[in-house]
Amino acid sequence: MIRPAAGGAAQAPEALSVVGRRMRKVDGLAKATGRARYTDDIALPGMLHGKILRSPHPHARILAIDTSRAAALEGVHAVVTGRDMPTTYGIIPWTPDEHPLCVDRVRYVGDGVAAVAAVDEDTANAALELVEVAYEELPAYLDPHDAIAAADGPFIHEPRKPGRNGNVTKVVKLAFGDVEAGIAAAREEGGVVVEGDYFFEGTTHTPIEPHCAIGLADASGKLTVWSATQVPHYLHRELARVLELDPAMVRVVQPPVGGAFGGKSEPFDLEFCVAKLSMITGRPVKILYTREEVFYSHRGRHPFHMRYRTGARADGVLAAVDAEIVMDGGAYASFGLVTTYYSGQLLTAPYQMPAYRFHSTRAYTNKPACGPKRGHGSVQPRFAFEVQLDRIAEALEIDPIELRRRNALGEGTRTVNDLRVTSNGFLECLAMVEDASAWRRKFRRLPYGRGVGVAGSTYISGTNYPVYPNDMPQSAVQLQVDRSGRVAVFSGASEIGQGVDSMVAYVVAEELGVPLDHVRVFAGDTDFTPVDLGAYSSRVTFMLGNACIDAARRVKRQVQKVVAEAWDAKPQEVLLAGGLAVRAGDTGTQMPIREAFNLAEAAFGALGATGSYDTPKDVHGSYRGATIGASPAYSFTAHVAEVEVDPETGFVDVVQIWIAHDCGRALNPVLVEGQMEGSAYMGFAEAIMEEQIFKTADQGRAGLHNAPSLLDYRIPTSLDTPALRSLIVESIDPEGPYGAKEAGEGPLHPSIPAIANAIYDAVGVRMNALPFSPPRVWRALQAEAARTPAARSAATPAAVS
Amino acid sequence: MEDFQYHAPGSVDAAVSLLRDAEDGKVVAGGMSLLPLMKLGLAAPGGLVSLGKVSGLDGIADRGSEIEVGALCTHAQVAAAEIVRERIPALAAMAEGIGDAQVRNRGTIGGSVAHNDPAADYPAACLALGATIATDRREIAADDFFLGMFFTALEEDEVITAVRFPVPTRAGWAKFPNPASKYAVAGVMAADGPAGVRVAVTGASGDGVFRVAEMEAALASSFEPASVAGVSVSAEAMLSDDAAGPEYRAHLVTVMAKRAVEEA
Repeated sequence: MIRPAAGGAAQAPEALSVVGRRMRKVDGLAKATGRARYTDDIALPGMLHGKILRSPHPHARILAIDTSRAAALEGVHAVVTGRDMPTTYGIIPWTPDEHPLCVDRVRYVGDGVAAVAAVDEDTANAALELVEVAYEELPAYLDPHDAIAAADGPFIHEPRKPGRNGNVTKVVKLAFGDVEAGIAAAREEGGVVVEGDYFFEGTTHTPIEPHCAIGLADASGKLTVWSATQVPHYLHRELARVLELDPAMVRVVQPPVGGAFGGKSEPFDLEFCVAKLSMITGRPVKILYTREEVFYSHRGRHPFHMRYRTGARADGVLAAVDAEIVMDGGAYASFGLVTTYYSGQLLTAPYQMPAYRFHSTRAYTNKPACGPKRGHGSVQPRFAFEVQLDRIAEALEIDPIELRRRNALGEGTRTVNDLRVTSNGFLECLAMVEDASAWRRKFRRLPYGRGVGVAGSTYISGTNYPVYPNDMPQSAVQLQVDRSGRVAVFSGASEIGQGVDSMVAYVVAEELGVPLDHVRVFAGDTDFTPVDLGAYSSRVTFMLGNACIDAARRVKRQVQKVVAEAWDAKPQEVLLAGGLAVRAGDTGTQMPIREAFNLAEAAFGALGATGSYDTPKDVHGSYRGATIGASPAYSFTAHVAEVEVDPETGFVDVVQIWIAHDCGRALNPVLVEGQMEGSAYMGFAEAIMEEQIFKTADQGRAGLHNAPSLLDYRIPTSLDTPALRSLIVESIDPEGPYGAKEAGEGPLHPSIPAIANAIYDAVGVRMNALPFSPPRVWRALQAEAARTPAARSAATPAAVS
Repeated sequence: MEDFQYHAPGSVDAAVSLLRDAEDGKVVAGGMSLLPLMKLGLAAPGGLVSLGKVSGLDGIADRGSEIEVGALCTHAQVAAAEIVRERIPALAAMAEGIGDAQVRNRGTIGGSVAHNDPAADYPAACLALGATIATDRREIAADDFFLGMFFTALEEDEVITAVRFPVPTRAGWAKFPNPASKYAVAGVMAADGPAGVRVAVTGASGDGVFRVAEMEAALASSFEPASVAGVSVSAEAMLSDDAAGPEYRAHLVTVMAKRAVEEA
């Protein structure tokens, strides 16, 4: 097993022959030609179709459920309710507050109440209409402040301890250094203290593929569940626990996933329902969510109400940061305990903070549960904080890029909350976007209506501690070499479109010298693959990459040893590359890699190895909560956004975003750029368009989603998307595979504040609430015009020279 | 989606008689409005009478003082037609901005006009240009055709065959689209033509397309953007949805009117 402390996996670039090249994805052709088989493409003999009855009320007691008429309908094979699966579950073991189907209470419009399996979807839908549920409606909370204020109840969940507020999931208060002294010092010494209130609107993931699952309980008592999940291992555990099965009798298969973005990173009702319905009927059962159900299942970005107080000295160096955050969690905890920590813990880089304090509260509300979305928990505070920095820069008349430079944390250091930072390419990121965007010619120099803005950020490459406490590796692979020279890799990781199967192939091809198309990656089946904890928190390349190196080098050492003996050379003189074993310094001495493998198999028996990786466990602070946010390595990002604001309509056209991202090393630059563009796109969508609006009681249907369809929920198409320019920075992390760090989530963060700061540069209004939609920008402009009748247009600076 | 009977007659007359016989029958052409409504369960017609096999309704002809557009012409066809681009460029521009490429390749002028969605683009063009809607049995002036949201002068069994647009001296179109659906949040056509100076607005009002008399009067004396820039409309009757509230919509009407005149 590779543990980072045991020595890095980084390697000089000249020694690499596969890693670093621009390559196709190994599954690219199958997906581009429509041959990939997703979960909904699977049809099993005798398969039934399931549907879930959902609550029409945001908050109600279930008094009685009568399923007899539904069960009697021709074509219906089984009906289940919450009482058939009474065990609670939750992705975080400390907050199990969900049932597969509600037992005695519904907590949001869309909460599952009963499920049917029938010969087809129409029959299943007809059966749902025959299920009779008697509800007693309860007061609904749609605003987190109202939920918190109701300290005496009624509560959305029973308090875990008597006397606590059952409407609160988690409160985190942490302080590092003396914040008040820092604020006072900033005030007294000619510096500045900036205060601001910010609102980050909730947004959802909108993957192309809706959630889908198939359950099959066979005659031997074994349960197989196929699911469009990004966490097959956690699903495996929870299925066994909730359905009271021996985990050894449960198999989870994860077919290719059509987009997830965090929205499929915990168990969902449909997975338990297809399993239970199959256990009852003995037939395979499939449930495919409608798009509306995808919106209600949600687990998307939490709405955050944030208040920041930031002090800086006269030279722009930060003195203190103080944050108070109220998070709107929706009906269930989901990852909320972690989200509450992340809301504060992940803000402490890329800038040095001498003093920092945050107080975050996650409240339950009667709306779809919020959870992790790309950039989990840290995108919202990053928006507020980077706008604060822009205000500080303006107040102190320091260029905002220069201000960020002066505060940069550096490499090989610790943050104020004791996160260990290894490699750090943030300064290079800043320099790259500054140059590429022609920042100095543009900032505060473009004509009224046009502007540029900058922002920076950091993100984790996985978490040092897994979701459930254990001492086993976080990631593992098994590798097996065939006599034809082909290498099979059994990988526990989840391919969700991000390219993890390709990454596995690149690493193995690099280490064993086989052609890329001779590496076969088998993944996503708990019966055949070792455990990887899942595709979340940007952990996979870092952890699985290291596990692949570990396994491949075990085989490589055997091959080198046996070939060295044949050549009367030293093992390290045997190079494996390009389908050959070659003697270093004597390239005339070589043999096909297949022959080298055959020699090794003859000497050692069947050729294969396992490899694993576990995170460093001794590199965090000693305070309670210090492990949350601790990562083996951090990525860094800087964006410059250029916008054109139509002051008459408030429409913001984001013309271009320059994205510089320190990913450690780009194992395949094409995929890194894809992640950077996809992230910046998603941030742009949240900044400009996305809005989760729920009806209030005054509007007749409290908690009803206003736009649970892609016709009404606003996300950008390719036509709406700005030009995106990706600039890769490689800081070569000492512990990452070949120096690699994450690239999938970090590059989202700065989009939003960079656009907000660009809008300010363009038209002089601060957008403190998302989205920066035309009506909001227009209202802000109206308010600004009312405040300062001599609008900035009167004093338009000189155009770009 | 509920079950329904599907018919594909070969002539307008056959379509009319099928509509007459059908229980709650509906005409379908491109299906860009009706099918989503059916899928969402908001409409459940008992019979669908497709015009797909009716020939002769998909031509665009120059009739001198008028351009005649067959009811089955798609938006893409209108946008690309040389006759339209030369003689009523505002109409081509409007058609080019409807929905997305898929909608423009399937959706028809007849369907858009008959559906009279309060945020559809065509009703504004018809009203501003003073178009005539021809059906299987009569001709209806646009002024008498659009009666309110999703409500027109058409009989239950009446089928549109063509729309005729008088060629204006000048006309301009400006739309602020909903970022998700591309329906008009506010769309304005300003025209100076045989029907006089007209300003027709779509997308903004809950009552559907409407004209703005004060803007028309101002433009009649001087057809300049500045003439309408200061004319505001009341927010009272404006639609309100996730994309825009009434006050903002009313503001957009003025801005779009100004830009429509600029385009003319």
